[in-house]
Amino acid sequence: MKRNLLFLSKNLLKMALLLLCVSMVAFFLVSVSPINPLQANVGQTALGSMSPEQIQKLEEYWGVGQPPVERYLAWAGDVLRGDMGTSLIYRQSVASVIGQRLQNSLWLLVIAWALSGTIGFFLGAVAGANRGGIWDRLIKSYSLITASTPAFWLALLLLLFFSVWLKVLPIGLSVPIGMEASAVTLLDRVRHAILPALTLAITGVSSVALHTREKMIDVMESDYALFARARGDSNWRILRRHGLRNVLLPALTLQFASVGEIIGGSVLIEQVFSYPGLGQAAVAAGLGGDVPLLMGVTLVCAGLVFLGNLAANLLYGVVDPRMKGRESP
Amino acid sequence: MGRKRIAACLSFILCLALLAGCGGGTPAGAQTGAKDSVVVVMSPTSEPEAGFDPAYGWGAGEHVHEPLIQSTLTITTADLKIGYDLATSMEASPDGMTWTVTIRDDVRFTDGEPLTAQDVAFTYNTVKSASSVNDFTMLDRAEATDDTTVVFHMTRPYSIWPYTMAIVGIVPEHAYDEAYGQHPIGSGRYILKQWDKGQQVILTANPDYYGEAPMMKQVTILFMEEDAAFAAVKSGQADLSYTAPSYGDQQVEGFSLLSVATVDNRGLNLPAVPRSGDVGNDVTADPAIRQAINLGLNREEMIQNVLNGYGTPAYSVCDKMPWFNEDTVVPYDREKALFLLESAGWKAGSDGIRVKGGVRAAFTILYPTGDSLRQALAADTANQLKTLGIDASIEGVGWDVAYDRAQMDPMVWGWGAHTPMELYNIYHTMEDTGLAQFSPYANAQVDATMDKALRSADLETSYALWQKAQRDGDAGISADLPWVWLVNVEHLYWARDGLTVAEQKLHPHGHGWSIVNNVDRWSWK
Repeated sequence: MKRNLLFLSKNLLKMALLLLCVSMVAFFLVSVSPINPLQANVGQTALGSMSPEQIQKLEEYWGVGQPPVERYLAWAGDVLRGDMGTSLIYRQSVASVIGQRLQNSLWLLVIAWALSGTIGFFLGAVAGANRGGIWDRLIKSYSLITASTPAFWLALLLLLFFSVWLKVLPIGLSVPIGMEASAVTLLDRVRHAILPALTLAITGVSSVALHTREKMIDVMESDYALFARARGDSNWRILRRHGLRNVLLPALTLQFASVGEIIGGSVLIEQVFSYPGLGQAAVAAGLGGDVPLLMGVTLVCAGLVFLGNLAANLLYGVVDPRMKGRESP
Repeated sequence: MGRKRIAACLSFILCLALLAGCGGGTPAGAQTGAKDSVVVVMSPTSEPEAGFDPAYGWGAGEHVHEPLIQSTLTITTADLKIGYDLATSMEASPDGMTWTVTIRDDVRFTDGEPLTAQDVAFTYNTVKSASSVNDFTMLDRAEATDDTTVVFHMTRPYSIWPYTMAIVGIVPEHAYDEAYGQHPIGSGRYILKQWDKGQQVILTANPDYYGEAPMMKQVTILFMEEDAAFAAVKSGQADLSYTAPSYGDQQVEGFSLLSVATVDNRGLNLPAVPRSGDVGNDVTADPAIRQAINLGLNREEMIQNVLNGYGTPAYSVCDKMPWFNEDTVVPYDREKALFLLESAGWKAGSDGIRVKGGVRAAFTILYPTGDSLRQALAADTANQLKTLGIDASIEGVGWDVAYDRAQMDPMVWGWGAHTPMELYNIYHTMEDTGLAQFSPYANAQVDATMDKALRSADLETSYALWQKAQRDGDAGISADLPWVWLVNVEHLYWARDGLTVAEQKLHPHGHGWSIVNNVDRWSWK
């Protein structure tokens, strides 16, 4: 019990430190960015027909000319009291904007993450076990191609193929066009999530597959695998008994580390598919100079990535009981 | 083992097929027999993120438009003069310090409550205190003197107040709170039925509307990026969608390109004073240079090169507005431009670039980075100027420094508002510097005429004064030319064949809600 408590508090401290550093870096980047929030949100033309008094009012609202350190301290103080502030663009509390958006994004992310993990692991294992074979070459080239494909471009291709040519999937959004909210079924929502989730999964597969393949090759060339072969074990049996077990651990690490990549990828994908998730809000906040919202999104994403890594740490002990004594104090 | 492997592969393929298959079924068509609904695609920036609340800029801002859900006191007519919506009369006091407006008494909000002058006064006092996008510094307070009369007390004379009244939607005092913008109640042609944030807005016709009943019963507005919007058109899921000139040469079956005239202009500022400190430019300070540029730019050629032909030549910041002076139009005359330069003493040097008194006719044309249209206009202008013997280079700048740099160098700007205030702010001097705000220029006569226009008691008089500021005999803005205007960019839309889009008034700057200003009068053939 005491050990668990220690473990927990140590990790909470780590997370607090991480969030502090992330927020400081993010705030620094925002303050040196060349975006003029008045220009971005009110627009040059609208500013052109305003009186100087009005422009001054708007500058106050958007925090133009306020020293960044002062702004940061004010913001950080509010966050410590549990108030993430009010979004300047949406004019709602940052927490509620993020809440709405996260709901939409979360299941997109979870589907993509699960798909890319399982498919990637499966492909990597097959490729590694058949090194040099036709499957290996196919899987390897597939992974290399998708790894070097920009996600938004792939998204556009899928959009063109499935929505414009075949017309079997919707062109975007998370609900059908013009349909009343009460009439939207779960199936509708699933259909609208297929393309964005698929895009994320396809690009996410490659890194998991390639890493798993490398590790699998190591295992298959190890002494114990050689010994098993000499004993007359079949390839499949070696894979099952030695390969998969030894590959599982690094694959798990990779899978949870990829949470960050999936979130990053979703920012662009959501733009292409007009999907109203966290990524869309992040882009709006970034381009519009909405500092409180951007900081909120950054913190939430950093928190998710940290939790992903923490989950990997916890799962090590479950997957490999030998690590229990060493890993967690 | 081989058989097992094949089985595994087959089942994997089957899974993929199932995954794709569950998307099957009937494609969601926008047009399933319904002939009184329409699906319109706008850019994601058109979504009113802060809600449909006039206090937070709904209807106002960069792209002014009719608020649809709410009624306004006045409206802008097809020729952008002023007509009435709720108002039945309006009058300014001789000193311009009060406006008295009477309103109709038969209007109800969609929750059944009557709309009174108290609601109007409440609305204006609310937007004034929030003042988040639109400028209400000229308003002191609004006051309802009875159920149908509202009096606006001004802080300064403001003859073009009716243009502000045309974009402020009237909200109900009894149903207004912080969250009004999320579920607005108005008295306009449409009711907000649903807003899926970041995706779509669904409007349905107001059955109790006091005016002519809307012909389109349901209007769905989608917010999509340019590529996705085009995909929506190609897959037939939208009826009308914004697009860019670069898509103009595409063919989409069942759709045609709709081009809408605008006052969405692009122009160059030419600093009209010599360089001193961080202000002014020694080349463009010479009136001969500015006149030669205005005469010697072939705007038609620029429109072909840069806009694929979708534009009109621009000669002022307010072409075809009621306050526009047609005498500012100058035909392209290359010979005259060259003659002006020669007689002003700008002689070609050894490299073909003109020199006068040791000053080379060279400057930089700035454009905002990331704006490909303005970049292309800057490049085309630079190419044309080279043939006149003026050496212009181009440079992209961020908006954080653009305003300061433009005090010294010409920059490509975009304007086009439905109010003469734009003309005023571009050419009128500021108190502290004695120069105009965006580009150094000063003309006391122009200042005086525009001030008089703002003080005049009726609009017609003010139109004449705005026109006089632009051209008064041989004087005025268009004689001084502190700015040279290039093009008005036409707004392009894909429209489904069979959809009749009602006649549009000149669109302001930006691709936004203007297109649906009169969506209630659209129809299907």
